[in-house]
Amino acid sequence: MDIATLDHICALSKLNFTEEEQKDMLGQMTDIIDLMDTIKEYDITYDDTKDHNEIGYGDLRKDIPAPSFPTEKLQQNTTPRDNCYVVPKMME
Amino acid sequence: MDLKNITAAQLRRMLDSKEIGAKEAASEFLSEIKKNDGKVLSFITVTEDEAMKNAEAAQKRIDAGNAAPLTGIPIALKDNLCTDGIRTTCSSKMLGDFVPPYNATAVEKLIKDDYTLLGKVSMDEFAMGGSTQTSAFAKTKNPYNTECVPGGSSGGSAAAVSAGFCTAALGSDTGGSIRQPASFCGVTGLKPTYGRVSRYGLVAFASSLDQIGPIARSAEDCGIILNAIAGVDPHDATSKDVPFTDFNEKLGKSISGMKIAIPKEFYGDAVDDEVKTAVMNAAHEYEKMGAELVDCSISTLKYAVQAYYLISSAEAASNLSRYDGIKYGLRGEGHSFDEMIRDSRNRGFGAEVKRRILLGNYALSSGYYDAYYRKALALKQQIISEYNAVFDKADVILTPTAPSVAYKIGAQDNDPVKMYTADICTVTVNIAGLPAINTTCGYNAAGMPIGMSIVGRRFDESTIIQTADAFEKTFSPVRCTL
Amino acid sequence: MSNLYPTIGLEIHAELLTKSKVFCTCSAEFGGEPNSRCCPVCSGLPGTLPVLNHTAVEYIIRAGYVTNCEISRFTKWDRKNYFYPDLPKAYQISQMPRPVCLNGYVDIVAGGKEKRIRVNRIHLEEDAGKLVHDEATRSSLADYNRCGIPLIEMVTEPDFHSAEEVVAYVEKIKLLYKYAGICDCKMEQGSLRCDVNISLAPKDSKELGTRAELKNLNSTKAITRAIEYEIYRQTEIIESGGRVLQETRRFSDTTGETTALRSKEDAHDYRYFPDPDIPPIIFTEEELAAIKEALPEMPQQRKERYMSRYGLAETDADNIINDKDICDFYEAAIKAYDKPKAVANFMLGEFLRRINLGEMSMTSLKFAPEDLARLIELGDTDKINKNNYKTIFVEMINTGEKPDAVCDRLDLWVKDDSSAVEAVIDKLIADNPKPVEQYRAGEQKVFGFFMGQANKALKGQATPNTIKAILEQKLKG
Repeated sequence: MDIATLDHICALSKLNFTEEEQKDMLGQMTDIIDLMDTIKEYDITYDDTKDHNEIGYGDLRKDIPAPSFPTEKLQQNTTPRDNCYVVPKMME
Repeated sequence: MDLKNITAAQLRRMLDSKEIGAKEAASEFLSEIKKNDGKVLSFITVTEDEAMKNAEAAQKRIDAGNAAPLTGIPIALKDNLCTDGIRTTCSSKMLGDFVPPYNATAVEKLIKDDYTLLGKVSMDEFAMGGSTQTSAFAKTKNPYNTECVPGGSSGGSAAAVSAGFCTAALGSDTGGSIRQPASFCGVTGLKPTYGRVSRYGLVAFASSLDQIGPIARSAEDCGIILNAIAGVDPHDATSKDVPFTDFNEKLGKSISGMKIAIPKEFYGDAVDDEVKTAVMNAAHEYEKMGAELVDCSISTLKYAVQAYYLISSAEAASNLSRYDGIKYGLRGEGHSFDEMIRDSRNRGFGAEVKRRILLGNYALSSGYYDAYYRKALALKQQIISEYNAVFDKADVILTPTAPSVAYKIGAQDNDPVKMYTADICTVTVNIAGLPAINTTCGYNAAGMPIGMSIVGRRFDESTIIQTADAFEKTFSPVRCTL
Repeated sequence: MSNLYPTIGLEIHAELLTKSKVFCTCSAEFGGEPNSRCCPVCSGLPGTLPVLNHTAVEYIIRAGYVTNCEISRFTKWDRKNYFYPDLPKAYQISQMPRPVCLNGYVDIVAGGKEKRIRVNRIHLEEDAGKLVHDEATRSSLADYNRCGIPLIEMVTEPDFHSAEEVVAYVEKIKLLYKYAGICDCKMEQGSLRCDVNISLAPKDSKELGTRAELKNLNSTKAITRAIEYEIYRQTEIIESGGRVLQETRRFSDTTGETTALRSKEDAHDYRYFPDPDIPPIIFTEEELAAIKEALPEMPQQRKERYMSRYGLAETDADNIINDKDICDFYEAAIKAYDKPKAVANFMLGEFLRRINLGEMSMTSLKFAPEDLARLIELGDTDKINKNNYKTIFVEMINTGEKPDAVCDRLDLWVKDDSSAVEAVIDKLIADNPKPVEQYRAGEQKVFGFFMGQANKALKGQATPNTIKAILEQKLKG
C-alpha cells in the first residue's frame, strides 16, 4: 500500500493521521494487505444465488405502522435545536 | 457464603429453597467486585442500584413461587449490548457517554425473567481484538495470571465469570470473541448458531458474523441462558424461527456412538503442542465414553483468517460509519461537516478500530472489491460446503479454541498480523454460521487454562452442550484465586 | 443551426404509499414535527436493524408490471456508503446488482408520434432525511422524518431526444404509478423526483457526448426549462471548442439556469456491498401472479372499457383517464347513476370547465360523486330543466349543498303546469308579432327564439318538451 492509496482510503473512512501515525499505519496496513493477498492464489468464483440464506416474500414484515419514539429520548445523546440534529452548515 | 464457584443451576436451587435471598446473592457479588475487580478490571460500569432493584423484584417473584430459571441470577453484560438508560460504551471513547434509549432483545428477555444485572463489562473496542487490551476504559487482566490477557473481545465477560464476580455473563462472538476468552479464562462459552439469538441491540461489528451468547461456569448454565435469550425476533430479519424446547434436553444422555470429527488442519504447526495434547487427551476421554473419532479436513482453513478479516472489516467499516458525532457519541470540532466528522472519528476510535475501518474500505473500494471482498464471499461458500461435508459423516467437530494459552499483556502489541492469525481456530465457525462451545480441557505447566471447542450442526446447540457437559462431568476444574 | 443532437436519460424517484417506513414501523406519512416520525432504527442508533416492509416490495413489483419489466425471482439489498448529515447510518440501503425489476418499456406519445422508451431497472431503497440551513448560526439542522420512506428509483435507457419526450414520459409514469396505487406523484412535495442525464453529440455520431446530470427538477416545467437551458449551454461550449464536464448540476427555478454542484464525496466511491442485515428474497411464481392479479385497473384498461362499453369517443375517454382523480370521480358517479355517457358529457363539459376556470379543484371538492350523479339524473328524468344545471352546479361547488336541496331552496323543480306555460306563450306571441309572422311564413329558425324566451320566462319550471308542444300548437295559430 502506498501513501496515495492510504490517503484515498482515509478520505473514504473520514479519518486523518499525523505524519508519524501515517508512517506506522502504512507499515501495518502493508503487512495486513500482504496477508490478505494470499487469497489471490485461490481460484474460486462467487455466486450470490448459492448463499442459500434467502427468505420468502411471505416472511417480510407486514405494513402496519406503530407509534414512533419520543423525540426527546431519541435525542438524549446529543443537543438538538428545534428537535433537529445540529451539524456545521452544509454547502451544496 | 461463597458464591464464586456456584453455577446458575446451583444458585437457582439455593434461591428457590430460600437458602439464600436474591438481594443477598446480589450483594455478595457486588462486594466481590468491589474487593477484587481492581486487580482484574473487568467492569466498566457496575450497576449497584439496578442490581438491588432487580434482586428485590426477583425475590418477590421467587416468593410468589413463579421464578423463571434466571430469576435473581446475577449476570454481567458485555458493554456492546444496549441497555435502556445504562451507559453502553463498546469500550470506545466514541461511545464513552452513550446511553441507549432502548434495550437489546436479549437483554429484554433477561429482564422478563427478572435477572439481576450487576453491570457492564469490558471488551475490545467495538469487539475488535482478542485481548481486551484495545478497550479505552478497562484493559481487563486474566484472573489466572494478571500479567496475561483474558482474551477477547468478550474478555470482561470471561474474566468476570472466571474471577467469580458474577454467575454468568453475556458476550458476543464475531470471530471467536466468546470462545477464545472463555478458553483463556478457564470458563465455558457458547457461540450459538447465526440467527439463533436476535442481534437487535447488539452494537454491530460484522453483521453477518455477530452472535450473542453466554459465558458461564458450565455447559449446563450456557444452555439455561440460551433457553432464555434465543428465539426469532421481529426486529432482526436474520434471526431464524427454528423451534426449540430446552437446549439442555440431551444433558446426561450417553454420547456412546457419537461421531466426533478431528479436522487435521486445526492441529498443525500454528497450534502449541501443549494445546494439541490437552485437546487430544479430551478426545480420547470421549472415546472412552463410547464416541468414535473421525478424521476429516477443512482445507480452506489456510484462507480462513483472510476471508474473515476481509468480510468482517468490510462490514465494520460500513457499520461504524454512523459514528459521526452528530446524533450521539464523541463530537469533534470543525467548521465544516467534513472537518467535524473527521475530528470526531480521529479522537473517538482507537488504532485497531481504525485499522479495521481502513482495511474494510480498502477491500470494498473500486478496483479492489473483486480481488478481496468478493473473493472472501466465495471462500465463505467454500468453507460452508466443507463443513457440510464433515457433518455428513460426523455429529460434532472437536478443535482447539486458540493456538496457545493466554499470552502476556503487550506480546501482540503493534503486530496486527500476529494478532489476526491467532484467530485461526475460531473464525471458520462464524463464517459458516455454526454453533460452538468452549470448555476447559486442561491446564499448562504454568496453570493457565487450555480450552477446546466443540462445533455442531446449524441449530444443533443441544448436541454440543451435551458433549461439553459430558466432558465437564469427568473433569475437575482448577478455579483461579485472586 | 447546430447539428448537435441531445441524448437524454432519466432517473425517477418515487416515494411509495406504504403506511409504515420501509425498514421500521414508523409512519410513512409526509411531514410532521421534526424527528417526530422516528425511532432508533430510522435514526441510525447503534445496534438497530432494518426489517423490510412487505407492501413496499409488493408496490415495486407493481411498478415493474405497469412498466413491462421482468421481475427478478431473486433480489437483494446493498449498502451505498457515503457520509452526509441527512443519512444517519452513513449508508443508504439500496439495490445494486439484483434490483427487483429489469428490462421494461413504456410507450409514450410526443409531438404526435408514438415512441417506446426502454426501462433499464427499478430498485427499492430508503429515502434520506431533510436539512434546513441556518445562516445565522452557520449550521444545518437535520430532520430524519423522511429517513426510511420507501423510494423506488427507475432508470431509463438514454432513449429521449427532446424535453417534450421527457415530459411525456414523466406524465405517463405519474399516471401509471397513480393508477397502480403506489405513489401520489406530487412533484411539488417531492414524492416524485426526476434527475436528467443529458449529453450532446453530432447527429450521425455513434458515440455519446459527455453527460451532465441535472438535479432538483421539481415540476415538468422545470424539466423542460432545465433541458432546454442545458442544450443551449452545452451547444455553446462545444461550438466554441470547449469540453463539457461530467458533473452534477442543479437547476434554479428563479434563474432558469443550471449550475455545477460541489462534489459531495471525494471520488464518489460508494463501496456497494450486500447488506448483511437483510436476507435476499425469493419470489414464487404464485406470489408474483397474485401481485399481478391484485393490480388495480390501469388507465388503458379503463379507456378500453369506456370506448367499447360506454361508447365514449377516444379523445373523451383520454380526457377522463388522464387525470386519475377525475377518472375515479367518474367511476364513482357512474356507480351511483348508471348512465356513463351522460355523466361523461357533463364532466367533460361543465365539470372540466369549472376546474379549468379555477373555480373548483379535485383536491378540495365540497360535493360527492353521488351528488353529481343525482344532478344529472334529475335533468335526465325531467325533474329539473337542464338549463338549470349550471345554477345548481355552482351552488354545489360553492357550498356542497345537495342538488335536491338547491332545487327546493331556489324553487327549480319542473312543475309542468300547462296553464302557466300557455299564459307565458300567449304573452310571447302577443308581444312579438313580427317573429310570429316570420314563423308562419315558414322561417322555422325563429322557433328557437320562442323556445329560448319561454324557457327564460318559465325559469326552467317546465320541461322543454312541454314548452315545445304548446309553442308549436299556439304558433300554428
